[in-house]
Amino acid sequence: MQTKLDRREFIKLAGAAGVAAARPFQQTTAPGPDAAEKDLVMLALDAARSAGASYADVRITRGNTELVATRERQITNVSKNETYGIGIRSLVGGSWGFAATRDLARNSVAAAARQAAAIARSNDRINPVKTTLASVQKFPDGRWMTPHEVDPFTIPIEQKAQLLFKTNEEALRVKGVRFVTSSISSIRESRLLGTTEGSLIQQTFFRIGPNVNVTAVSDDNGDFQTRNAVLAPRGAGWEYVLGLQMQENVLRWAEEAAAKLTATPVQPGLWDLVLHPSHLWLTIHESIGHPTELDRAMGYEANFAGTSFLSPPEKVLNKFRYGPAFMNIVGNRTESGGCSTCGWDDEGVPAQSWLIVDKGVFVNYQTTREMASWISNLTKVRESLGTAYGQDWASIPFPRMPNVSLQPNTQDVSEEDVIAATKHGIYIEGDGSYSIDQQRYNFQFGGQVFWEIKDGKRIRMLRDVAYQARTPNFWNSLALAGGKSTYRLGAALNDGKGQPQQLNAVSHGCPIALFRNVNVINTG
Amino acid sequence: MQNTNAKRHGLSADESRQLCDKILGLARADHTRINITSGIQGFTRTAINRITTAGETNNVTVRITSIFGKRVASVDTNRLDDAALERAVRDAEALAKIAPENPEYLPELAEQKYMPVDGYYASTGDLTTESRARAASLGIKAADASKFVAAGFIDVAAGSQAVATSNRLFGYYSGTAVASTLTIRTPDGLSSGWAGDEDADWNTIESERIAEDALRKCRAWRGKTALDPGKYEVILEPTAAGMLMSRMLGVFDARPADEGRSFFSKRGGGNRLGEKLFDERVTIISNPAEKNAETSPFTNAGQPVQREVWVEKGVLKSLAYSRFWAMKQGVAPKAIPPNFVMSGGDASLDDMIKSVKRGVLITRLWYIRGLNPRVISFTGLTRDGTFLIENGKIARPVTNFRFNQSLSELLANVEVLGRPTRVAADESGAAGTPVMVPPLKVRNFTLASVSDAI
Repeated sequence: MQTKLDRREFIKLAGAAGVAAARPFQQTTAPGPDAAEKDLVMLALDAARSAGASYADVRITRGNTELVATRERQITNVSKNETYGIGIRSLVGGSWGFAATRDLARNSVAAAARQAAAIARSNDRINPVKTTLASVQKFPDGRWMTPHEVDPFTIPIEQKAQLLFKTNEEALRVKGVRFVTSSISSIRESRLLGTTEGSLIQQTFFRIGPNVNVTAVSDDNGDFQTRNAVLAPRGAGWEYVLGLQMQENVLRWAEEAAAKLTATPVQPGLWDLVLHPSHLWLTIHESIGHPTELDRAMGYEANFAGTSFLSPPEKVLNKFRYGPAFMNIVGNRTESGGCSTCGWDDEGVPAQSWLIVDKGVFVNYQTTREMASWISNLTKVRESLGTAYGQDWASIPFPRMPNVSLQPNTQDVSEEDVIAATKHGIYIEGDGSYSIDQQRYNFQFGGQVFWEIKDGKRIRMLRDVAYQARTPNFWNSLALAGGKSTYRLGAALNDGKGQPQQLNAVSHGCPIALFRNVNVINTG
Repeated sequence: MQNTNAKRHGLSADESRQLCDKILGLARADHTRINITSGIQGFTRTAINRITTAGETNNVTVRITSIFGKRVASVDTNRLDDAALERAVRDAEALAKIAPENPEYLPELAEQKYMPVDGYYASTGDLTTESRARAASLGIKAADASKFVAAGFIDVAAGSQAVATSNRLFGYYSGTAVASTLTIRTPDGLSSGWAGDEDADWNTIESERIAEDALRKCRAWRGKTALDPGKYEVILEPTAAGMLMSRMLGVFDARPADEGRSFFSKRGGGNRLGEKLFDERVTIISNPAEKNAETSPFTNAGQPVQREVWVEKGVLKSLAYSRFWAMKQGVAPKAIPPNFVMSGGDASLDDMIKSVKRGVLITRLWYIRGLNPRVISFTGLTRDGTFLIENGKIARPVTNFRFNQSLSELLANVEVLGRPTRVAADESGAAGTPVMVPPLKVRNFTLASVSDAI
């Protein structure tokens, strides 16, 4: 179930509506629920129901993180964090209430469940509303675990520190490099979900986030430049870190940091852009991932994250041209290695993949159970697409982005082919400064390393590059996408949304891609 | 009001001390430090003229830092039963034993004297779900009455923090914070207005005025028209000014300055302490005891936090020094600013508008990200009310802009400062680091490109 579908297989599965049939995983090797936690979930569900909740869901999560961080030849942080507790969401009338506590004594759990119902009732009294939840299959013994080879928590701290020190040492060999920071964040999370509709689902997530940042300073202290390695976090184990070959690759990152000190400042103007996946993932995240969230489009995030230019749904679904006919964007919670990959979402909806942009046309949003019915007459999809998520036990579940990815060219187009197709362009590697407006139109993105391309060849390094664009214009300037061999995942562990703000881990896959005539500015 | 005897959220000083003593009693390391954070977070959220979610979370987090020689490691846990605490202590010690030495580690502090600060306001700590819902419904009612659409957020935090070391240091602080923010939009999505307050004391949050202001802004911004990007004289309303100025908090650090990677680095080495860098009316301080913007008077390491003057009459007066960097440079340690208090002038916003021949009034900002730390430059966007001013009057609503602006230049280009106020400076609407700033009139502000967003 973890294999990535190619385009043809995907379409076959997706059918006319563009939604792959929801096929729950039942990983028989994944751990099942702890008996005591299961009892507490049942107790909380009973207490919420007795307090008048027509629906409730309960999550017990135990999050463990471990951080090893260094700078140059010294350690700066060795720490572990555990957060454990229970959160209950209740529906009374049409209003939601949420309560959470770290205290897992039976009476505290029951009290929190009653409090969640009481908050919902109080809100419903002051501001009565209607809420409809899309139907979902019941999974009384769901189990899932992130596929991984080596649990990163079994690797000793010393081994992690040694890897980072060796990486730093290599970087410091490069002239001009004065500072290096590096770290490895390991995350394990157990998540037990119970619902009043009869689902009980135990999932265990592994995510790992390495980081290397090199700073070079000019001899007279008059200038400094940094080069972040942009090592994507991943839903994986320790094997992913080994595969990155940080010790070997850091020399290039360090040389690039030093070279940026004397690179040519970019001439502002219109340039073609060749965007490496280590950069393009973030552009996808900001200009496609967020505007296709249905809650944003409907105004639920108006006070913070903003709304969406893709609104109202009846005016844009199946009508709005996002990009060229070869552009296909998939929402996918089954993507191998994806940070948002799971077995089920936080409402017990099975992980699935679906087309968001089909042949360049916007065809679907991201939905939860509460939101599915709002657009089902337009999409013919009656069930939730499974994007509910709360960052931990203390956070109420709400719509969060799945892995949203640009599909590669069906032809075997290499990176060299894409560069060769560029006459006057800039190759951008790595994400840098990024900012986009609250409806996701106007954006400005920097990067880590910039190379001028002339007549199909990379000729020299540039600096202080950022590009400004308007989302529809930018995506319609997509001229060529690389093939499968250029497809990579980028990711973030800290995508913020919601009030109170919650963080979501999410990946975006994409091939290298060429965009024509984009407005480039000099940020120096 | 402050200083009531009613039960506060979060552990009391006695409970904190007992918990610290219990954990220190389990410790076998050379040195141990305990940090406790406890309390509640309550929230009510509205959108499309309904309460969408509301809730309350109760938590206690303990950080145990164990030290053997110069080997340091920490473990955070929120499990407080005896067995879990013992496991956490053993875990921290096991990690510390295998952690590589940190040559910059300095011995734990002994008992310290902290300035007395009580930041806990019962009006905030005792706020009920019903009170939040009633306050939130004011925004909904105001929008409903005009057939507009409201989305808002009330964020409440009440609790305490404590620090203790095996060298007999103990510090305790309890505080509250509340932010109420509201966006009102027209149903066609063509206009949007925002208003918000942030304080430690719920009694100073003016829910009715917030509803009125957001509605007024939304009405006034209808019919916006294009304006060319370029360099403009701008008036930053307090929230917009605070969102930018809060980015200065992390810049006042001596180490990157001395190491050659900060605006405050001096060419050829050293830093720019004592240099006049900004307009002479710019004075920036931090003060844990600032009324309605109180913060803890100690750092996580137990280092005292005092009132500090960072910029006085445009001159860089202080930089923050960690204990290690202070020792290395032969100066006294100084904590990074816990809050941001910028002095202002007497001008009202109306006075400031009257003084503008041609300029832009900015309500608030969005998605502010760093561009170039050498000049402290940032990019971001205007949002929820942007207006052209001509000949001392609001001439018309205009489209939003992306800005690219150096803050060092901005502080040098200040023309008029208004009366300082605490603002909701966090883009997420969370009650966060207290920021008190005046509205600012500045010249040559770079509005780099037009944004179609509303």
